[in-house]
Amino acid sequence: MKRRDFMLAAGTVAGALMLPRMTFGAEGVIDVYFSSDQNVIDFWTNVVKPKFEAANAGLTLNLVDGGDGAGVAAIADRALAAMAAGKDPQADLLEGFDTRVTVDGIAKGLYVDFETAGLSNYSKVNPLAFDIPTNLPYRGSQVLLAYDTTKLDPAGVPKTFADLVAWIKANPGQFIYNRPNKGGSGGNFVRRAIYEVNGNDPTKFKVDNYTAEAGEAMLTPAWELLMDLAPSLFDGGAYTSGNTQSLQLLGQSAVTMIPAWSDQALSAIAQGVLPETTGLVQLQDLGLPGGFTKLGVLSNGANKDAALKLADFLLSEEIQSAVLTELGGFPGVSWDNVSAELRERFADIVPTSIPNFPSGDWEKAINDGWYRAVAPNVDPAS
Amino acid sequence: MTTDTAGSVSPVQPHRGRPIGLLLVAVPVLMVVWLIIWPIISAVITTLWVKTPEGDIFSIETYRFFFSDGYSLSNLGMTLWTTGVCAILLLVVCLPIALYLRFADSRIAAYVQGLAIFPMFVPSIILSFAFIRVLGPNGTVDLVLNAVGMPKIRSPYLTPWGPVIGLVWDNIPLTVLILLSGLGSVSNQAIEAARDVGAGKIAVLWHIILPRISNSILVAISFAVLGIFSAFTLPYVLGPAAPEMMGPFMQRTFRELFEPQTAITQAVVTFAFCIVFGLFYVYSVAKNRAP
Repeated sequence: MKRRDFMLAAGTVAGALMLPRMTFGAEGVIDVYFSSDQNVIDFWTNVVKPKFEAANAGLTLNLVDGGDGAGVAAIADRALAAMAAGKDPQADLLEGFDTRVTVDGIAKGLYVDFETAGLSNYSKVNPLAFDIPTNLPYRGSQVLLAYDTTKLDPAGVPKTFADLVAWIKANPGQFIYNRPNKGGSGGNFVRRAIYEVNGNDPTKFKVDNYTAEAGEAMLTPAWELLMDLAPSLFDGGAYTSGNTQSLQLLGQSAVTMIPAWSDQALSAIAQGVLPETTGLVQLQDLGLPGGFTKLGVLSNGANKDAALKLADFLLSEEIQSAVLTELGGFPGVSWDNVSAELRERFADIVPTSIPNFPSGDWEKAINDGWYRAVAPNVDPAS
Repeated sequence: MTTDTAGSVSPVQPHRGRPIGLLLVAVPVLMVVWLIIWPIISAVITTLWVKTPEGDIFSIETYRFFFSDGYSLSNLGMTLWTTGVCAILLLVVCLPIALYLRFADSRIAAYVQGLAIFPMFVPSIILSFAFIRVLGPNGTVDLVLNAVGMPKIRSPYLTPWGPVIGLVWDNIPLTVLILLSGLGSVSNQAIEAARDVGAGKIAVLWHIILPRISNSILVAISFAVLGIFSAFTLPYVLGPAAPEMMGPFMQRTFRELFEPQTAITQAVVTFAFCIVFGLFYVYSVAKNRAP
């Protein structure tokens, strides 16, 4: 982006940030802020919005791309400030958001407690997905390995992380993952490596147990493992800058295997971005991390009741089936609550466990540590 | 009384344009002060007065960290390298195009000009992904080379040459346009006179053309350098994971490491380098304006 473009964008953002302060959330318009990628927003635009608006006359959805987690977190911080000032936050529902991120948000009652909110579909939520009562899981996705079946026989695909490491070293230049801060597929591959050197025990990592010493002790061996892999990666240690770029390299047959999000890989195959000969596999010893995407409803939003109605609607069989068929994710409700035909069709991606790596300080330590320890280990001019 | 008024108005007339002129420039000047000058001052203050429990104290700690941190320095070095290489390549690529466009008068010249200006209309994010398709591994170039039986080349996609190629392509239009406007001041008579006394092509370029467009070259390079130094999209998508260019590095420090003060320090350092080229530009414009 050029400086002038940046100034324009900065001016627009500054204007957009100031504008809502002078307005009020419109009655009957539910403001939904997204941290997820464009494919999810498209899913809401094409499926959730028309279905919900048809079922609930007088209510409309305003879908706003919050950019990323930090962008939506800023909206939540604003809502907390609005609550202290007794003002309207101009936001109702935050998609792809962990309500823990807002400091003091839960303690001050900023978020609706779904256990007491009386959602009719709440009991259907997958027990694996339950987190805290202010986070409502409504869809899931997991990183898996996508590979080219014309170059790698499905029978010989690695099934454990140790096998994967051995395969990468035996086939130099055929694997690439993206930088951990620029997309979850590479990010969760790095996190899976961190699990590997810590006894494959996801419970060791909690959102509040990061200390500098623990980070040093638990992350350094993972950096060594990844540095050891670097010479066997594509281009002798190159890393793409996002989920899409990795898919592009697999699609151009430049590499044989990549880590990819299940939903992005499935929709890429459906759209022909990846060929039909693409295979998907999950590691059997401990899956690559993924997680359920959660949403939070603001208790001080002008359309709180309508937003809760929307949250309940998201858990209905109609939308949950569409998550599978239209989005390529997996449902937030238990598999018993989707149709038998879909259960059968997607048997391969029904997870038994989904390790979920905490965000917060661990994430920061990984983003900084990987760039300092693993990335520069390559001669940039080579 | 009416005659008095009329008499007093007419001598003022030559000065009447002045307050209106000042008013007209006041809006952009105030915008610049509000949106650019003030954020710069505030950024410098934020990095120098560190908040402590006892109150704000003056400290150069953030700068000391930047200039003692090998990783930050290698990112700065990478940015300087990319900027320098791009500036040289731009000159090498654009000067011949500009010379051709200035002196050719065939119909093809119009098409060449259109082609040279074309990158201006391509957003850099689209350019980045097109780059991966064309110059990336197994991309169009590889397919063409393969079709004529040539060996595969190593793709520049994830090497430092990736952003260099992208940035040079992206900056061609502006550089060509500025050089072309400079070449407009080279008169045909001067060149014909030189030829008449037996000057060769190189001599004409060196003694007649280059001295007259040195100012334009300086302006073109300053513009390109300012844009490239703080480039974001191309180095974000293309190039190696590390070292990073300052643009993506600042963004990552701010958004993913949640260290606004460190990010602002990086921004101030970047600005300090850019201002040198800014001063070059201002100096050459001022020199040009002076009678």
